[in-house]
Amino acid sequence: MKSKRTWAVAAVLLTAASWTLSGQGQPVTYERLLKADQEPGNWLMYSGTYSGWRFSKLNQITAQNVKNLRVKWLFQGRHIEKFETTPLVVDGVMYLTRPENAIYALDALTGRQLWTYEYRNPERTYNCCGKNNRGLAILGTTLFMNTLDMHVIAVDAKSGRELWKTKMFDHAEAGGYAATGAPLVVKDKVIVGMAGGERGVSGFLDAYDAKTGKQAWRFNTIPQPGEPNFGTWAGDSWKTGGASTWNTGSYDPDTNTLFWGTSNPWPDYNDDARTGDNLYSCSVLALDPDTGKLKWHYQFTPHDLHDWDATQNPVLVDTEFLGQTRKVLAWPNRNGFFYLVDRTNGKFLSAKAFVKQTWNDGFDFENNGRPKLVPGNDPTPEGNDKVWPGIDGGANWMSHSYSPLTKLLYVFAREERRVYTKNAIQHPTTDPAATPQAPNAGPVGGRVRGGYDDCLVVGIDCNKRLAQFAPEESFGKAIAIDPATGTTKWEHPVLSPPWGGLMSTAGNLVFGGTIEGVIFALNATTGERLWYFSSNGPVYGTAISYLADGKQFVSIPAGDLIVTFGLD
Amino acid sequence: MRHAFWLLSVAGFLTVGLSAQAPQNPALAGAATAPIPDVNPFTSESDVRAGEALFQTHCSYCHGSFGEGGRGADLTAGVYRHGGRDPELYASVRNGIPGTEMAPVRVSDDDVWRMIAFVRRLGSRGMLEKAPGDPEAGRLVYQKSGCASCHRIESDGGNLGPELTDIGRRRGLKFLAESLVTPESNIAVAYRAVQVVLKSGQTVTGMRLNRDDVSIQLRDTRDNLRSFLMQNVAEVRYDKPSLMPAYASMNPKDLENLIAYLHSLKGTL
Repeated sequence: MKSKRTWAVAAVLLTAASWTLSGQGQPVTYERLLKADQEPGNWLMYSGTYSGWRFSKLNQITAQNVKNLRVKWLFQGRHIEKFETTPLVVDGVMYLTRPENAIYALDALTGRQLWTYEYRNPERTYNCCGKNNRGLAILGTTLFMNTLDMHVIAVDAKSGRELWKTKMFDHAEAGGYAATGAPLVVKDKVIVGMAGGERGVSGFLDAYDAKTGKQAWRFNTIPQPGEPNFGTWAGDSWKTGGASTWNTGSYDPDTNTLFWGTSNPWPDYNDDARTGDNLYSCSVLALDPDTGKLKWHYQFTPHDLHDWDATQNPVLVDTEFLGQTRKVLAWPNRNGFFYLVDRTNGKFLSAKAFVKQTWNDGFDFENNGRPKLVPGNDPTPEGNDKVWPGIDGGANWMSHSYSPLTKLLYVFAREERRVYTKNAIQHPTTDPAATPQAPNAGPVGGRVRGGYDDCLVVGIDCNKRLAQFAPEESFGKAIAIDPATGTTKWEHPVLSPPWGGLMSTAGNLVFGGTIEGVIFALNATTGERLWYFSSNGPVYGTAISYLADGKQFVSIPAGDLIVTFGLD
Repeated sequence: MRHAFWLLSVAGFLTVGLSAQAPQNPALAGAATAPIPDVNPFTSESDVRAGEALFQTHCSYCHGSFGEGGRGADLTAGVYRHGGRDPELYASVRNGIPGTEMAPVRVSDDDVWRMIAFVRRLGSRGMLEKAPGDPEAGRLVYQKSGCASCHRIESDGGNLGPELTDIGRRRGLKFLAESLVTPESNIAVAYRAVQVVLKSGQTVTGMRLNRDDVSIQLRDTRDNLRSFLMQNVAEVRYDKPSLMPAYASMNPKDLENLIAYLHSLKGTL
């Protein structure tokens, strides 16, 4: 209670301080990024803070008054893709990315446009799931964005003018590369991931000098010949093994460690040619952000056969575990388990399922938590429909949120199963003649399709794909997990498996949105829905909160809109 | 965007297909099947003048009276996003650009070509003349006069005034001279100064970035992005539309050299 009051006072003080700064162009230094939690009026990085909490200390909007929340303004993207972006807010200016790599600077109070930057991608890009972008990073007065055609761009936050542009990799190599996640700035470097795990790429994580755009380091997520763990791939399978880094990581300044999750190994559902653990796919990497050197790794799903990427945003929590306070990664994984991993050394502590699962029969503590497998869960040529969770996982890329007030981790989980089919291996190609369908079509081999994206992107008959299972077998739920025990404290079910994440606030609220477009606020303690708004656009993103003119706002993408709410 | 691309592709395919078939199929004959010339057939001086008049009627609302852009693209750089070959420019004007606010222009085909002749001229003003002054001496005048505090060349300089990296390609000598001596004679919409008088009595001056009935946004003279709700604003004034000082009293030699320097800035295409 004491800490709540202290924070309330701090928030009021900061409110005044931060609005005094509004528009005054103070650079966002690394020190400000380190203390982003002390500027609740701003949203300075993808997850809000380096800890990955996506928690706002703002408390003007509360469980008591949230019923009065109303739309303050809309931003109309006017594009076909849905927004997946997390905007940044710096001293009254909102910066957001539009699909296909445009940047908009908006007045955070009214949504009015201040400037735009438009990047021109080539006609053919090789993104799996829409021409999306999830956001920006900022350092000083420079914004950073990565592009569908594998460039990193630095743009002046005051004018929208391009400062530098660096090519990460040839986007048409192998089956095709893309970069869709939000970069993360650590010290003077911009850390950038890449996508293509379904296209037989070779994964890496890059760091670029924020001033010059010069590459500082590259970590190959698949060990190269001579490196440790190289032998975890049969034959030449390592060359096209995927293990991409398509979401955003987190950073622990206390131990100077960067945490970043990796994607599935390729081919997703056919392991004939890739016997072995396939490191470092489906893993969390703990890296030195200065050098890119690997400190340790933990592989959630060795030798994955279900596309269970470990690309979730890492959440850094200090929690009680067996009577001791431990520095952990609290990690609801796509494979349906909630993990605690000691973030100082990679030691597996515990794992507990948060959705229905059929594949796991416990964890081998002698072998740092290696999962024990249940037979019968592999993909089959005729299609295996007895596997939970589904291809899109119990959790996916959507943000989780941790509230230090309730000490609960909020997860927007997916309960579903799908058909896992083992197809013949066909390496995706970027040859236009071989893939004459839509330029951004997904993989051409070895993947069972059937999501929202697929219907839009490649013209799959959605009715056939999505109606395979009874509604009660496929739904979503916002849940509150006690990280110490992995126990689910409450659950708020929603109609369909979600593609949006959750944000919690000091107003004891949890914000999110469903695929049908219902934007909601839940009581963070009980899970009770206190307010909703029917946006009628699928929510493929996560809310943020900020101050404009001293008042708390909540912004969330819905379809091609950014919807911003506030009290009167 | 993707749909627009497909539509364009399909449209392109149909056009090509129809053109190829036209000689064999009289039913398909007509204006739509006439091949588009590879080179603008209307480029005489009188065509350019006629094109300018048409431009002011049909294009300047979005592209600016001087082609400087605004709601529409800046046409002074000679760089065209949707294709810079004559037939591509023709298609953009004739058919509009799907997925954008650029609508088809309702004039005759010949007049479309005349407009393109003028647009071409807009994009190469600076290439047609030779400046009399000394560009190197002008560079020193530029530095001494503090131009870089508002204008940018390449990566150096401020955001308050238009970028000058390729101003020598975009603009002719007369325009450059006018802009220096009487800056208020030619102001691009994006650089119109505005004075926001707040009810508190404070006046904030800057470049107008955006405005609607309830708010106004500007870049203030310290290069900060600002926004004001109209409920807090007493008055919005445009009585000093340019923030640029007039250099009418500059030593004529310095002025000539400065113009020569600006004229030498061609950027990189």
